[in-house]
Amino acid sequence: MVSFSQWLRSNSERYLLERAQAEMARRYLDRPGPVTERGLGPLFWRRVFVPVYRRLPWGLRRAVIQAIPGSHRQRWQGRRPIRRSPVVK
Amino acid sequence: MPPRIVVVGGGAAGIGAAGSAKQADPQAAVTVYTEYEDAAYSPCGIPYVHGHEIPDFQRLFLQEKSAYREAGIDIHYETRVTALDLDGRAVQVEGEGLVPFDRLVVATGFDYADPGVPGTDLGGLYYVKNIRRAMEWDKVLDTTKVAVVVDASPLGLEMVTALAHRSIETHLVDPHPWPLAEFADPDIIQPVEESWAELGVRMHLNTKVEAFVGDGAVRAVRTSKGELPADLAVICTHKQPNNTLARQARIKLGSTGGIVVDERMATSVPGVFAAGDCVELPHGVSNVPVQGLSGSHAYAQGKVAGANAAGRPRTYQPVYVPWGMVAGKWVIGGASFGETNATALGIPFVMGVAQGISRARYYPGVTKVRVKLLADPGDLRLIGAQMVGQEGIKERADFLAMAIRTGVTLEDLAWMENVYSPPIGALNEPIALAAQNGLASAGR
Repeated sequence: MVSFSQWLRSNSERYLLERAQAEMARRYLDRPGPVTERGLGPLFWRRVFVPVYRRLPWGLRRAVIQAIPGSHRQRWQGRRPIRRSPVVK
Repeated sequence: MPPRIVVVGGGAAGIGAAGSAKQADPQAAVTVYTEYEDAAYSPCGIPYVHGHEIPDFQRLFLQEKSAYREAGIDIHYETRVTALDLDGRAVQVEGEGLVPFDRLVVATGFDYADPGVPGTDLGGLYYVKNIRRAMEWDKVLDTTKVAVVVDASPLGLEMVTALAHRSIETHLVDPHPWPLAEFADPDIIQPVEESWAELGVRMHLNTKVEAFVGDGAVRAVRTSKGELPADLAVICTHKQPNNTLARQARIKLGSTGGIVVDERMATSVPGVFAAGDCVELPHGVSNVPVQGLSGSHAYAQGKVAGANAAGRPRTYQPVYVPWGMVAGKWVIGGASFGETNATALGIPFVMGVAQGISRARYYPGVTKVRVKLLADPGDLRLIGAQMVGQEGIKERADFLAMAIRTGVTLEDLAWMENVYSPPIGALNEPIALAAQNGLASAGR
């Protein structure tokens, strides 16, 4: 049985990547995107989650990622210091 | 009394941990449990033995078994650890009962993701992992006429090339629009596709495996675009952390399913460390936890975990993931993100792409090198890179990973010094050309 964070991670990664791959395939190869699954679940991730995620500013996305439990929330020295980019609101 | 250090797993991480623990504290009693007949060989070399680039499997072993005995490391082969009793500070070992420890290193590695289709119980499905099984499969390959490789993962790319080199009719089935689409960019992989086509590889992209068909043994692979006859199928699905023992022992797991660790490779349970494909680590640029990296990552993590288990403080760092591999006649590689992953994650970037050459333009053997750099649009610090060529890709990937780690910018790279010697380096380093183009696209 997977935890909520695993479920969220695997689905968000899958559908964000699916969208990016479709764009890249069109841009570079003139090919269709990856094979997709049908159903209400995939529809939610494609039509709701992905567009909403993409509209969030990067700073907010980063905060959401940081909030998910995992190794990144443990003590790690030698991290690259975060410098705010002028494009990040 | 010297500490009793138990290591569960005999792969790169487990053996790295055992050796490092013994080095840190020669008095420590170090015991390794592995389910397999051997420890410390290079599973990454298996595709190259299948492809006949390496003449035999023996060369893949790091040490003779006696070397570990002489080093004072007690390896129990073909011995399964069935449970971790963390309250009782002991592991349950099949045939040995409860074995006490003072410090524990979990290095249980990975499992291939279940393809999730009917027919996975058939014979003729090859999961590349154990060297003894690989030796048996290698004999099968002598009589194999048609093979289907399932999923264009890094291992899938290596196996496709190996089977094609072996003159086996090779089919690659993958649901994505290009091979290695989970982290390589399409323009980087395109020369590989052309090279495979020259080798006679048949690619079935945008195609899903629906079932393995056969009676006892696989005879065909049913896909979303029809049935492919097959003497064998090589399963190269995603590497998932083997976290069964950790989960049962309530060691904290992260969003990848990997064990949560800190810079000492310490888990959520005091005195228990973990390393290798069963853990997750923060990515240095995005801070997103990642899992399932290379053998060199696993070995280094094992060394850090083992030293800490023996009482010598060592720290690992967030990862920037330099990678590279041979695919067809090309070498592809990179560090950190490509354009596809950065787009998926929504990381802002500017990009510089250039095609350079590997040696002086007039020197025999000169080949093309395509470099793509991604940088933060604000401060122009490098955040990712991908490359395709035939020479120097690995060295560039290592260099670029360190450049990303240390905050090198496109400006630094655009005017970098480089070795110029006709047989080994061109006047213009391809990385510098890509950085100059990146500056131009950023309007600087």
